Amino acid sequence: MEKINRRDFLKFIGAGGIGAGAGLLYGESTRKTVELLIPQVVTPEDYSPGIATWYNTVCRLCSAGCGISVRTREGRAKKIEGNPNHPVNQGRLCALGQAGLNALYNPDRIRTPLRRTGDRGNFAPIDWDEALTLLGRRLGNLKIKKQGSSVYLLAGGLRGHIDTLFYTFMQALGSDHYLHYEFTHPAALYAANRMIFNQDILPYYDISNASYVLSFGADYLGTWLSPVHYSQAYGHLRQGRTDQRGKCVQIEPRMSLTGASADEWIACRPGSEGLLAMAMVHVIVNDGLYRGPDRNAWLEATGPYTPEAVAAQADVAADVITRLAHEFIRNQPGLAIGGGSAASHTNAAASLAAINVLNYLAGNLNTPGGVIFNPDPVSPASPVARQASYARLQEWIEAMAGGGVDVLITHAVNPVFTLPPAAGFTEALAKVPMVVSLSSFMDETTALADLVLPAHTYLEAWGDDMPEPGVGFPVATLSQPVVKPLYDTRDAGDIILSLAHQIGGELPVVLPWTRIEDYLKDSWKHIYGQRRITADSGGNFDEFWNAALAAGVWGENITREPLRFDGVAEDRIRALQVPPPAFAGEEKDHPFVLLPYLTQAFHDGRGANLPWLQELPDPLTSIVYGAWVEINPATAKRFGIREGDIVEVQTPSGSLRAPAFLYPAIRPDVIAMPIGQGHSQYGRYARGRGANPLEILSPLVDEASGALAWSATRAGIRKTGERAPLIKTDGVTRTLGRQILDDKPAHT
Amino acid sequence: MSISVRDALLTFKTPALIGLVGVTGFIAGYLIDMTIFTDTAPKQPIDFSHRIHVSDNGIPCLHCHNYADTTPAAGVPSVSKCMGCHKTIATDRPEVMKLAGYWENQEPIPWIKVHDVPDFVYFTHKRHVLAGLECQVCHGPVETMDRIARVSTLKMPWCVECHTERKVEHGRDCWTCHK
Repeated sequence: MEKINRRDFLKFIGAGGIGAGAGLLYGESTRKTVELLIPQVVTPEDYSPGIATWYNTVCRLCSAGCGISVRTREGRAKKIEGNPNHPVNQGRLCALGQAGLNALYNPDRIRTPLRRTGDRGNFAPIDWDEALTLLGRRLGNLKIKKQGSSVYLLAGGLRGHIDTLFYTFMQALGSDHYLHYEFTHPAALYAANRMIFNQDILPYYDISNASYVLSFGADYLGTWLSPVHYSQAYGHLRQGRTDQRGKCVQIEPRMSLTGASADEWIACRPGSEGLLAMAMVHVIVNDGLYRGPDRNAWLEATGPYTPEAVAAQADVAADVITRLAHEFIRNQPGLAIGGGSAASHTNAAASLAAINVLNYLAGNLNTPGGVIFNPDPVSPASPVARQASYARLQEWIEAMAGGGVDVLITHAVNPVFTLPPAAGFTEALAKVPMVVSLSSFMDETTALADLVLPAHTYLEAWGDDMPEPGVGFPVATLSQPVVKPLYDTRDAGDIILSLAHQIGGELPVVLPWTRIEDYLKDSWKHIYGQRRITADSGGNFDEFWNAALAAGVWGENITREPLRFDGVAEDRIRALQVPPPAFAGEEKDHPFVLLPYLTQAFHDGRGANLPWLQELPDPLTSIVYGAWVEINPATAKRFGIREGDIVEVQTPSGSLRAPAFLYPAIRPDVIAMPIGQGHSQYGRYARGRGANPLEILSPLVDEASGALAWSATRAGIRKTGERAPLIKTDGVTRTLGRQILDDKPAHT
Repeated sequence: MSISVRDALLTFKTPALIGLVGVTGFIAGYLIDMTIFTDTAPKQPIDFSHRIHVSDNGIPCLHCHNYADTTPAAGVPSVSKCMGCHKTIATDRPEVMKLAGYWENQEPIPWIKVHDVPDFVYFTHKRHVLAGLECQVCHGPVETMDRIARVSTLKMPWCVECHTERKVEHGRDCWTCHK
């Protein structure tokens, strides 16, 4: 090797030195940051690091009441699954239920009690003692002055013994003003069931064993009543039997998720579902497919509803009506059910009653595969006693506006969002001197409160639930905390018990408990007493209670006498008629009917603050993080509207703007919008996103049931000239000649 | 005038060698940083001495690290466990006073983790303890340490060596540790 000269030698040393230095610095800069080992301050009980503990409780994100099993580790809830023991959902769970973790660990949870400072909408934190004293004193004073009836309590659909607790509290205060209001409460269905079946609670629809499901808009796979249960039942209907896979027919103006799984989808005019049912009743009786002793009464009642007459009104061919009626009767056991559009017009109760009649004529009452009436629930409180229809709530709004309400307490309900502004709730709220919210989140209603007493989320709370609709036999689910409360919140039940003790007088006498857990345990003693004693059901109450807690549910699936049904009274038959639907707005100015629809993810808007649901693609449009207006492609072409064009939807009660989505499976004279977005409050994930179709509804009501006719508003659309690309996971919605699908029209 | 490729390249001999030395220096510097400049015995928020507690006072490992035989994590004692003795014992020592300070503020002691494996490795104490391994096999002579130090590399070759020697069932299967 040649000799290295001095210069080069120095260069080598330099390069080596700088290289080593660089290597050292690189090592230091990419070093993993020091990890800390944080111990507990106090050794917790029930604690095994790295080992999961499962707690069974009940999901409260909709009114179905599915049982859930929550996997926790080191005191944190990690995953929610369906409870396999629970007869409603049998181990399955929907997207909303899964997203419950987003509710528990939501960064926008209210963490302490709040008191209004200045104008409504501004709050400062206060401590619980101060908050409870403030409210307790006011309620106490009202009671002493015998003005307890000016205290109003509005809750979301609350069931079980917590409902009884609230009721007892209000009664002891001297107030009858305790109601539940849920946007999704099927008031029309309850009215229809009373009309035809004389039943006060919902029956069990045995989809699992049916051979034919004739659904007038009931989205039973998505949002109708108890979708997790029905989805499972649907699975059995299709694949659980070797000799048949059933037939599912869906009749609705806009294809729902269930419609997409149906064998036949029929696009009827909005509000004509009841007329179609009456025409089918007419066909069944007229064509001799029903031979009961009361057939003449039915013939008379449905005389004018011939297939030809109804065909014109419903825009469904007369021979289709006749064919479906024949198919339904000949493929028993079958189910005729109604929901969605059919349940949200001004003829809702009458329409659903006509649909009920189809079941009666088919003879599928109280038979497997049909409509099975439920026994009374085990709880002393009926699940429906306090459910308010929209019309009933109107009375409250009038009382509020008239100054007759001194204190309004709200729990798990957001009427400022779910009621159309035309109902006047927000204005009436301004007249109430003290508005108290027990909400965990700063939703639109809570933002207008004077006092916020944040309740635990359902995963931190005690309670119980008796599912409605029931499953054919008595069931009671226990709700227990799965984690220690994250923040300075309290169990809603404990809040009421504390108030009772604050107020004094007879309240702590009728509600002597100091802890909700004790109240619940005592309440279950009567379930323990009621149960059938069998060979293996021995054991004292404590064993029973612990077993129920561990399983998460108690039920008694014992064979029993089916509930009797003595036929429909003749005067009821003769009184049956389905009026044509009424709409707000004239066709001239508002050529379309606006159809708001529920999605499984957002329900009535409650799911919008759960980020997992915002990023969940809508099953039919695949759109995420927004709202949209669905327009038939032929209509869109007429208006020159492309996907993503922002359109203004105008109704007689207001207008909103949203991007258009070309949706083929909707009538050309109908536009549809998902419910749930368009929040002005409710946290970072929900706020300022999309538009709320409920905001522009005109307050038409189904007189027979008091239900809000939320599909009865006509609308016009107008291009704004702006565009906003829709964020969706689908690509192009056209087949582009690739022969992927058979592009035949949906119905003839 | 033409010139051969070899000769053309050879004009860059010196700069290339300088570059090579530089890269070698970089690698050497990095390795030195990883070995000599890495703290295997970091200073802890409290100068807890295992020697005093284990050798002098005879406290067994599982008394404090009580989850080691039942869960994947051995666990580190809660502040209340330390206070169980130190409410009355050695309360005049400065380090014990530090402990009392944490307890008064109901604050956990932020120990610096000395034994750690990456998140993509599944290591379970329970299985190793129930297999009869003494803690000292991996953690070294802890009972002599005034400040806990890492004596094993905890890197994969070290784990695999023991799994091979002791003929662990499924011990060399990737999925066993890299679930």
